[in-house]
Amino acid sequence: MPEPLFSLRGVVKRFQGQEALNIARLDFAAGQITAVEGPNGAGKTTLLQILALLLAPDQGRLLYGGQELPHAGAQLTARRREITLVAQQAYLFDASVQRNVAYGLRLRGMRREERAQRAAAALAQVGLAGFGPRRARRLSGGEMQRVALARALALKPRVLLLDEPFANLDTESAAVFERVIAGLPAEGCTVILVSHAREQARRLAQRVVVLENGRLAA
Amino acid sequence: MDFFVGGVARGLRLLASLDPEVYGIAWLSLRVSLSAVILAALAAVPLGLLIGQNEFPGKRLLVVVFNTLLALPTVVVGLVIYGLLSHRGPLGGLELLYTPAAMILAQAVLAFPLITALVLAAVTTLDSRVAHTALTLGATRAQAAWAVLAEARFAVLAALAAGFGRVITEVGAAIMVGGNIRHYTRTFTTAIALETSKGDFAQGMALGIFLLVLALAVNLATHHLQMRWR
Repeated sequence: MPEPLFSLRGVVKRFQGQEALNIARLDFAAGQITAVEGPNGAGKTTLLQILALLLAPDQGRLLYGGQELPHAGAQLTARRREITLVAQQAYLFDASVQRNVAYGLRLRGMRREERAQRAAAALAQVGLAGFGPRRARRLSGGEMQRVALARALALKPRVLLLDEPFANLDTESAAVFERVIAGLPAEGCTVILVSHAREQARRLAQRVVVLENGRLAA
Repeated sequence: MDFFVGGVARGLRLLASLDPEVYGIAWLSLRVSLSAVILAALAAVPLGLLIGQNEFPGKRLLVVVFNTLLALPTVVVGLVIYGLLSHRGPLGGLELLYTPAAMILAQAVLAFPLITALVLAAVTTLDSRVAHTALTLGATRAQAAWAVLAEARFAVLAALAAGFGRVITEVGAAIMVGGNIRHYTRTFTTAIALETSKGDFAQGMALGIFLLVLALAVNLATHHLQMRWR
């Protein structure tokens, strides 16, 4: 297995006393696509939120590039800026498509012209070239998910986390997602996706991890 | 009836004559009330955001307290600020009583709970995914809070307009801590109360019409901003 980018060691997360996740040891290789499968309530989304650094585990260690992750402050933000998540039903800001896609770039202090270029390229990548001036909320469900994907791609993340990327997508959008995801490892991006769409997920992934009741299935 | 119609007509003529006293009162009212809303908003908007976006013990009680403060009588606020600023009060040394600054302070206290409660309601009903989305795209906590405010911008602007409406129309606090001093602390509402009690209905009417026109202008400006942000 190539060098792990993300490593979980004895990670436990509880919600109101109930154990949602308990992972003794799990590594995610750099530049690989890993699919996480499992029934509803298996802890898949919790795992993604921990990897996105949105949720801190109650116990255990999370290593990134072999180093312990900071718990808060500027260092945590710096790490978080290498990782991004596309949610199952992504939230688009009540603004233009262009503003949505460039949002993360603006946070990073990128200049306007460069932002526009990066956003346009990301939109073209998901088949939405020229959609920049449109209102994001007026798009179809599939187009909105593609804008969310473009918004993540514009950041050129080291890690892309995808929560049910194929759920509720029209055929065209699903094909776009599959094509884009398949090309990411070549750009050095590590992809971790949670999916019920076993066929698509297995076609894309170099590795499949199965969760059951918050634990790794044998 | 003639009394009423004649009063309105004279009021309109007074407005058209660009009477410097009337316009001086208008300018002071606007300055005091806008300053009060800005001062109140500086505290109320972040507080409403903080309460609305976080879960903590005692939150419901705090929300009830703010909702109760919406019914805060203006004379009670006037009384408390008067007590604080009067010569024998703890802040008497500042010599602010019967100045526009005292009126701004009293009006800010009045607007504060209203703006807080409305911002709180706006961010509570907002989609809970906003802050998370901003964080996944690399926002700091402050930037994520700003994203929440930006998404709730129409409601936040409406909260500010409501705060302005509350303070520009109140008379109790303005008269108690401002003293209704001519050319200094006389606002629309204190002047209307005075002129009417003196029997000068037309002057009162002119001021009343002006106040309505001003309120309309502020609301049109708010509406224009909301349209531009769409």
